[in-house]
Amino acid sequence: MLRNWIHIFLYNIKKNKLFTSLNILGLSIGISGLIFAILYWNDEHAYNTWNPEKEHVYQVINKMGDDLGYWYTNVAPLGPMLKETTPDLESYCYANTWYFNEIVTYKGKKEFVKILDSQDRFFKYFPFDFMLGTAASAISDESSIALSETTAHRLFGDENPLNMQVQYSGRTLVVRGVYKIQEKSAFAPEAVTNLIGNDLKQNQDSWGNFNKGLWLKINDPSKVPVIEKAISDLYFEHRIKPSAKEEGISPEEYVEKYGSITPILEPLATARLHSVTDGYPEGKGNYQFLIIMVSLSVLILLLSIVNYINLATANAIKRAKEVGVRKIVGATKINIVWQFIFETVIISWFSILLALVLVEITLPYYNEFLGKELIIYGSQFYLQILLILLVVIALAGIFPAIYVSNFETLKVLRGNFGRSKSGIWLRNGMLVLQFAIASFFIVGSYIVYQQVQYMANKDLGFRGSQILEINLRRVGDVGIFNRYETIKQEIKKIKGVVQVSTGAFSFGEGARSSSSFQYHDIGIQGQNMAIDFGMLEMMNIDIMEGRDISMKFASDTINAMLVNETAAKLMNEPDLIGKEVDWNDHALNIIGVVKDFNLFGLQEDVPPMAFFHFKTIDWMEYNLDKVFVKVSTQNMDETIGQIEKLWTAKVNTEYPFAYDFVDKKFARTYEEYIKQKNLFSLLNIIVILISLFGLFALASYSIERRMKGIAIRKTLGADTNRLLKELSKQYVVFCVIGFVMALFPAYFLLNTWLENFAFRISISFIPFMIGFVVLLVLTLAVVLSRAYQATRVDVLKYLKYE
Amino acid sequence: MIKIENLTKVFRTEEVETKALNNVFLQIKKGEFVTVMGPSGSGKSTLLNIAGLLDSASGGSYKLLEKEMIGLKEKERAKVRKQNIGFIFQNFNLIDELSVYDNIELPLIYNGVSASERSKKVKIIAERLGVSHRLKHYPQQLSGGQQQRVAVARALVTEPKIILADEPTGNLDSKNGNEVMELLTDLHANGSTILMVTHSDYDASFSQKTIYMKDGQVLLEKQNTRNIDIIVNG
Repeated sequence: MLRNWIHIFLYNIKKNKLFTSLNILGLSIGISGLIFAILYWNDEHAYNTWNPEKEHVYQVINKMGDDLGYWYTNVAPLGPMLKETTPDLESYCYANTWYFNEIVTYKGKKEFVKILDSQDRFFKYFPFDFMLGTAASAISDESSIALSETTAHRLFGDENPLNMQVQYSGRTLVVRGVYKIQEKSAFAPEAVTNLIGNDLKQNQDSWGNFNKGLWLKINDPSKVPVIEKAISDLYFEHRIKPSAKEEGISPEEYVEKYGSITPILEPLATARLHSVTDGYPEGKGNYQFLIIMVSLSVLILLLSIVNYINLATANAIKRAKEVGVRKIVGATKINIVWQFIFETVIISWFSILLALVLVEITLPYYNEFLGKELIIYGSQFYLQILLILLVVIALAGIFPAIYVSNFETLKVLRGNFGRSKSGIWLRNGMLVLQFAIASFFIVGSYIVYQQVQYMANKDLGFRGSQILEINLRRVGDVGIFNRYETIKQEIKKIKGVVQVSTGAFSFGEGARSSSSFQYHDIGIQGQNMAIDFGMLEMMNIDIMEGRDISMKFASDTINAMLVNETAAKLMNEPDLIGKEVDWNDHALNIIGVVKDFNLFGLQEDVPPMAFFHFKTIDWMEYNLDKVFVKVSTQNMDETIGQIEKLWTAKVNTEYPFAYDFVDKKFARTYEEYIKQKNLFSLLNIIVILISLFGLFALASYSIERRMKGIAIRKTLGADTNRLLKELSKQYVVFCVIGFVMALFPAYFLLNTWLENFAFRISISFIPFMIGFVVLLVLTLAVVLSRAYQATRVDVLKYLKYE
Repeated sequence: MIKIENLTKVFRTEEVETKALNNVFLQIKKGEFVTVMGPSGSGKSTLLNIAGLLDSASGGSYKLLEKEMIGLKEKERAKVRKQNIGFIFQNFNLIDELSVYDNIELPLIYNGVSASERSKKVKIIAERLGVSHRLKHYPQQLSGGQQQRVAVARALVTEPKIILADEPTGNLDSKNGNEVMELLTDLHANGSTILMVTHSDYDASFSQKTIYMKDGQVLLEKQNTRNIDIIVNG
């Protein structure tokens, strides 16, 4: 029996080479899309699953009042105080939410290492496997350092690193442990130190300095609300009460006026994809994009399965006679069903193999696109593949098989088959679904394209081309601003350098710090835009009112301040120039209003900003870590080469010269969306191809079914044009219905997507119009070509033999 | 009306060449009722198809209404066909998706007849063939005899110059078959020109002239003497 099935299967493949190969190709493209999505999905969901503490480790996140969003940083006294007052808390652990990227030296060998600074109990929260030493003792004091296996190897080679001394940032540390991180983790440092204590001690009474990450270990997750309440109470006691007293109002009035902080405890288990903020150094997964990927790939697979069904049923008509004869010689319905499912199994199996090949070939591009290192690996993955195979077989195989098995033997053999209307609504329904999916993709990718174009062309309010942003590292604790001034003089001498200045911020990333300042009763959380003279002018940032800071006025380094338009609006004062604001107990005079420019990416609104000279606020220089240099377009490479030479010789001999062009750096804030656009366009092409192919198949089938009608009409004198019109009419109707079905989902989903952006296009009718015209033209092209062929055939064949 | 001279039709497959028609001569005058008989494969259906401009000849001459038809393009043939020829088939060839009314109306649409005119003509012809109470039905809902009446109505609605019938009673029982033959005889009596292919001597006897074919050639022509009386007697 199997041999017989295989024979006829091969015969049909040979007979329908084009259809079969397109069919397999369509299915495998659909499946590869899903494989890609699954790889991505698995990777993102693999984060922290290894960690036995994932259900007990919580990060403290503070929802700040007044639209300040969520902060993942915390004050130093909170942890110890909470431990004292809350018995439900097992322990707390402070750590940085980022890594130092610094040089660690062993016997003159220098390596850049991503170092996490935390407390002794860190490895109880993230129990990596210890190859040498123990988790408990690895960072028990300030002189200890734990290294990852690869870092240890880089520094020590084959030497045993345990108890060896390394130099780091002027300190000598002893290696007390070597650990290995085998799986995805929210923390994956190359080294861990316990140097955070000093900073915590200095700030132990400061309830206003949010600058450390804080994790809590809670054995009983049901106690989370209790602990959140306890944190709230501590804030009330130590932040609100003293501040209210200072202002001479009741704490309740204070809360009414300034709002309060709502603490949120976020479990490690869900932090990667569902965190409200981005408080781990390994970053946050893009859940929205993950869902987009998975949904789009499911849609495409669905599309290719629909195609398969359409093609299979269309082809089945041609095989009606075979089925009829099989039945007459004794095949049961079930037998026929199995035969056709058998064929689907073979085709699906081929498709999955082909899909795996496609994935293997294109995986490097996909990895580059996602910025990941995905590999095809793991029992979980192969189980998922098996599941896909089963689903594809179930969806694609069973319906056509049952359809075929239901052919009425007599009708088939008598020859007037192929005109039965059974299942026609289902096929037409699927066609409409295909049209809807295709419309969604065409419209969607056009809207995404429009938004990306908009971002690329938007006037940002500053000009970043020709401007280098060079990283300036602190060396020791000497005043960095003075150092900058020296460097500036040196750089200025280089031919091709137009201007040199600096600011405590970075375009696309924001200011290094943010403080609130008071104007009368209004508190404004401004970005601290400390600058050197000439910075605004160099960046082509306009002054709306008043003037820029200038060397000519001695007071400009003492008490002068500019605000941007957004801040000015919040201050609600028609004539700001000359007014005084209270900036953390500094009385600063407003000398100008700066035109709004995009400091963050276009996803975010322009924040309120306060501009002043570095010298105005003495601690601002701690935020100075960039030098901005404008270079002439002529001989730019040579100029940059000169700067580099100067830099590595005189400024920093240890660390490499690192710079970026301001415009390119800013463009990276929406790089992800350019990638999404490219992905959407690629998928769009695939979807259109698959749909057109499906349409072609269905039109072929349907026209085949109507051949007799066409023959009769021709006999009665219908001319070609009229026949074409009649044949294509229904497809135009389906096309319109499918398009209308896609209208709302496309509008709604794309609008949701556009909500990612503070600066966005509004959805106009143009994408819809273009989508409709494209869809209609393609539909007509396919259907008419098929219909035209049909009108050419020999009438007699159908009049006689049907 | 029809003048066929030296008509040849050759079917070629890769290996065999079959002469379906071999130098056929045939003439049908206006108002004549001619039957073609012969065994399967004798070429009678091919002859009918060529006469109906559904098929093309390999050689010879076919004049319809004094115009040469051999060598006409498909578009022109379609035009001649829809204006002059009505078809009646063994298996009726009604379009299942269309109602009886729509089926009958179809050739009028292709002939560019106005909607009001169409409705009038359909009603008249349906009345004449006794299917006016079935106009809203679909072909599958009718008996074979009724379906053939609808097919005849469709063939006649354009008032064609010639009616071609390919075994019109082949799929019908004798009662319904008789009815259809009566109809054709009636049409003939009213002056229609009819060319019919049949297997049945009985059916052939309704016509004026029977042509016997074998192996693509006309064997003999016979004038039928008894026609209408048979029905009276039978």
